[in-house]
Amino acid sequence: MAWRNLGRNRVRTALAALGIVIGVMSIASLGMAGVAINQQATAQLGSIANEVTITPGEDNPDDGVTQEQLEEIEALVTDAAVVEQKTNSTDVSARGEDVRVSVTGVTEANELYTVSAGEAPSRLQSGALLSNSTAQELGLELGDPVEYDGQLYRIRGLLESENSFGPSGGGELVLPLSALSEQDHYDSVTIITADGDDTAAIADRIDAAFNSYGRTEDVQLSIFTSADIQSGISGFMNTLELALLGIGSISLVVASVAILNVMLMSTIERRGEIGVLRAVGIRRGEVLRMILTEAAFLGTLGGFVGALASFAIGFLMFGALTGDPTGVLAWPSARYLVYGFAFAVGASVLSGLYPAWKAANESPVDALRG
Amino acid sequence: MSIIELDDVVKRYESGAETVEALKGVDFHSDRGEMVTIVGPSGSGKSTMLNMIGLLDSPTEGTVSLDGRNVTDLTEDERTEERRSKLGFVFQSFHLLPMLTAVENVELPSMWDTTVDRHDRAIDLLERVGLGDRLQHTPKQLSGGQQQRVAIARALINKPDILLADEPTGNLDQATGGTILEEMQRLKDEENIAVVSITHDQQLEQFSDRVVRLVDGVVRS
Repeated sequence: MAWRNLGRNRVRTALAALGIVIGVMSIASLGMAGVAINQQATAQLGSIANEVTITPGEDNPDDGVTQEQLEEIEALVTDAAVVEQKTNSTDVSARGEDVRVSVTGVTEANELYTVSAGEAPSRLQSGALLSNSTAQELGLELGDPVEYDGQLYRIRGLLESENSFGPSGGGELVLPLSALSEQDHYDSVTIITADGDDTAAIADRIDAAFNSYGRTEDVQLSIFTSADIQSGISGFMNTLELALLGIGSISLVVASVAILNVMLMSTIERRGEIGVLRAVGIRRGEVLRMILTEAAFLGTLGGFVGALASFAIGFLMFGALTGDPTGVLAWPSARYLVYGFAFAVGASVLSGLYPAWKAANESPVDALRG
Repeated sequence: MSIIELDDVVKRYESGAETVEALKGVDFHSDRGEMVTIVGPSGSGKSTMLNMIGLLDSPTEGTVSLDGRNVTDLTEDERTEERRSKLGFVFQSFHLLPMLTAVENVELPSMWDTTVDRHDRAIDLLERVGLGDRLQHTPKQLSGGQQQRVAIARALINKPDILLADEPTGNLDQATGGTILEEMQRLKDEENIAVVSITHDQQLEQFSDRVVRLVDGVVRS
């Protein structure tokens, strides 16, 4: 019955449903966009999420992490890799061109770096790794020598550039620790945990061991975990997601007003008919239900089509942003399809309430008079 | 005993500052198996009187009794229940729902009621008004006379005590109107109901058992 009432004015029904479709699409797509952006950002941060970086603190007398401190750290951290580094900077020259690069002396190169060509040895004793961009700039290839501190090192691997915003800001040259042997102390120690959740615990442990001599705050080592940044970023992402949803909701509110208008028009148009229904003994509640059902049908139709369209959009969006279009099926994003649909039906029924109430409560005498 | 009775019914409408007295103390009754026609010039209060008899409106003063029960002060919902069980309506402009077929239109009053299935009775009624071959036609596919027959069948679906007709022949030509009236008369006897019509149509008076003349809200018999 309600269905056929909608069928009477197909164009109007289609337009009202279109309003809902757009509303659902905007709310669901924007919601999913938020999720996709969030996932993509998390994926990019993921590589440093499990790192604890230790640098000399402001109260450190040696201006470096000493061998004793390093051994102490290694004793404290049993379930994660401890990678000590010495840093410097130098000019790498080839074919008459000079490029300023930062130099990192490290043994366990494979823990910190990924290479696009060659290898990142787990025990770097000889040879060097150079960032790809610098190598290209200087026309250097695998096997070519670079000079540091009077010694030549053969390039064993080319570093992927910008794989994270760790130490590889500009060009970087990675050498064995022995190359920087004139520096007594380590400039930083990176602890790489298997699981990102452990980083905070490890950071706390080291902080307690080194930075609370006596009663005074004594910062021997400065400890940094990327979990700090990450929680900040995910907070921002949640805000962004909410803001996107808010924009989406506005369009659904507009769609609700359109439904309200359509339902109001159609009940006014059918005043006489509703009067007849009331005259032949159809109860007020039954008229109310009929019109609410019409509104619910509109909402369901629009919501369904809108959810389908959003699904398609989400599929493309996830494909573009995270490279995995099936991510749209996961609950964090799929729930926006459900929310959008539920919101559409809810908003439609809500905006059907007033017209339905108005139609049901009109006196049949007035309604019949037309 | 009369199936419907109006006793000294007064109906006043407030329209702006003015009070219009549409009915000024009307007495009326009708019995089963009787066809009564209320005639009168426009503005005489016929429609108001039909609204009183049809429990669509309640009087300002006086009492309305349906089947011996005082129904004057029923609430709108209670009147709806009375209309649902005891009354049938036929309108001048048929008022069939355009998206429903003939048989669905006839079933309409009981469509929301899941306790009864009136489908067979709907078909039976349509066959009795000569539309057995038009069951699945929509109102648009039916002529005026056929539409009014569907409307009559709809009015009888709930086995009412009274059939109320508001200008039932008003939108029909003389010949079609005549056959509709014959139909109504026949069904009135078959179903043993009271038929109360209001009209301008002289023809309707000829078919009536009794004519009530209403002038300026007062019955002039």
